[in-house]
Amino acid sequence: MISTLLKRELKVARRNWIGLAIPLLFFIIVVSLFPFAVSPEALMLQKLAPGVIWVAALLSMLLSLEQFYRSDYQDGSLEQLLLMSSPTSVAISKIFAHWLLTGLPLVILSPLLGLLMQINYGFEHINHTWVLMLSLMLGTPTLCLLGAVGMSLTLAANRNGLLVSILIIPLYVPVLIFGASTVTASLESLRYNGELAILGAFLMIAIVFAPFASGRALKISVG
Amino acid sequence: MPSLSSMSQSQDIHFDGLYAHELTVSRSEHVLLEDAELHLAPATITYLYGDNGTGKTSLMRCLTGLLQPDHGTVYWNEKPINHPESGYFQDLIFLAHSLSMKNELTIAENLTFYAQLRCGGSYNNKELQADISQVLTDLGIDGLEGRMFAELSAGQQHKVALARLMLEPAKIWLLDEPFVNLDQKTRRWLAAKTLEFKAQGGVVLFTSHHHIDELPVDQKVGVEHE
Repeated sequence: MISTLLKRELKVARRNWIGLAIPLLFFIIVVSLFPFAVSPEALMLQKLAPGVIWVAALLSMLLSLEQFYRSDYQDGSLEQLLLMSSPTSVAISKIFAHWLLTGLPLVILSPLLGLLMQINYGFEHINHTWVLMLSLMLGTPTLCLLGAVGMSLTLAANRNGLLVSILIIPLYVPVLIFGASTVTASLESLRYNGELAILGAFLMIAIVFAPFASGRALKISVG
Repeated sequence: MPSLSSMSQSQDIHFDGLYAHELTVSRSEHVLLEDAELHLAPATITYLYGDNGTGKTSLMRCLTGLLQPDHGTVYWNEKPINHPESGYFQDLIFLAHSLSMKNELTIAENLTFYAQLRCGGSYNNKELQADISQVLTDLGIDGLEGRMFAELSAGQQHKVALARLMLEPAKIWLLDEPFVNLDQKTRRWLAAKTLEFKAQGGVVLFTSHHHIDELPVDQKVGVEHE
């Protein structure tokens, strides 16, 4: 059942790729403007890199949330999905598809942006790009899961984009803090296992609770 | 005081089929139905009528379980519809006003998706595709399987939504305004298929603003405000 839902999501997304490309483009543009605005000096950029890349990734995820559930709610197919399968499996397949289409591309693009922000400047043997990718790999699914809950709660409200931002940014902040500090710790040649573990713990908690919460909220929004 | 008036021929109440007991529904503080009883027996066609805004759609959504009634229960074969053993959602096709099709998918993809979701793994793709072509031919939109849903006219889109009735096995059809936007030929087709479904023991409830000449109904239910 979940694989049927997932296949449909991916098919719809493939035909509607421009909507997905915009948040990615936004991610690249925001990061690439920093060298112009701040300073092209490598050390300076390197210091800013973790924060800038993580903030851009978070905003890009926030931007792409608008597509979550929205079109299914408007064309009535969400009702049909809820009738024909369990709300939790609808939420799981939506969240997974959404992460594949918005979170994973961020992870894949991040080395390029790391390069742009001189993340490896002055280090010959240590590659911080992997740490950046790993932190995003653990962090972006959490952002997706939390965003799904926010979106499903506010589906029935008009122009819910703003509402969702206000609702879930406080929940995004811990992920941002530990995501960025993982990379910062690595840049300062400190151990970053602890930060990664906390990111992983956030993810585990979100995986357990968010699909269920999102499913329940969908039922309420549709009713 | 809103009420639900039923002109059912048979007065004896038995629980077979769909039975709504003491249903009270309100939308934003406004009571639409109060303690309504509704019985849809197997092999009957029920026509639900009422003016705009009286709560026909809300009643129907209550029967699907999408809308929680304030109180009251809907039973399917003597079990509450949310009971895991009622099997209600496997048996139900609900066609709402919104057509529930994705603009980004082709007609065949849309129909295949719903059939797959209903049948799980147990379907034969070749047969399903053949069935889809057959239904589309019956509806007079043959050869459009590969077209995007968004490219069709409103009437054609409506026909695609109706095609689901032929492709998914079910025991109960809840149809919200199924005859709207349809040409004569398709109205006759839908009426004939509805009668066929009834002959197989199916339960049908549909709403409409006009009397449908092509379709003899067994029961008329009106939602009225006194």
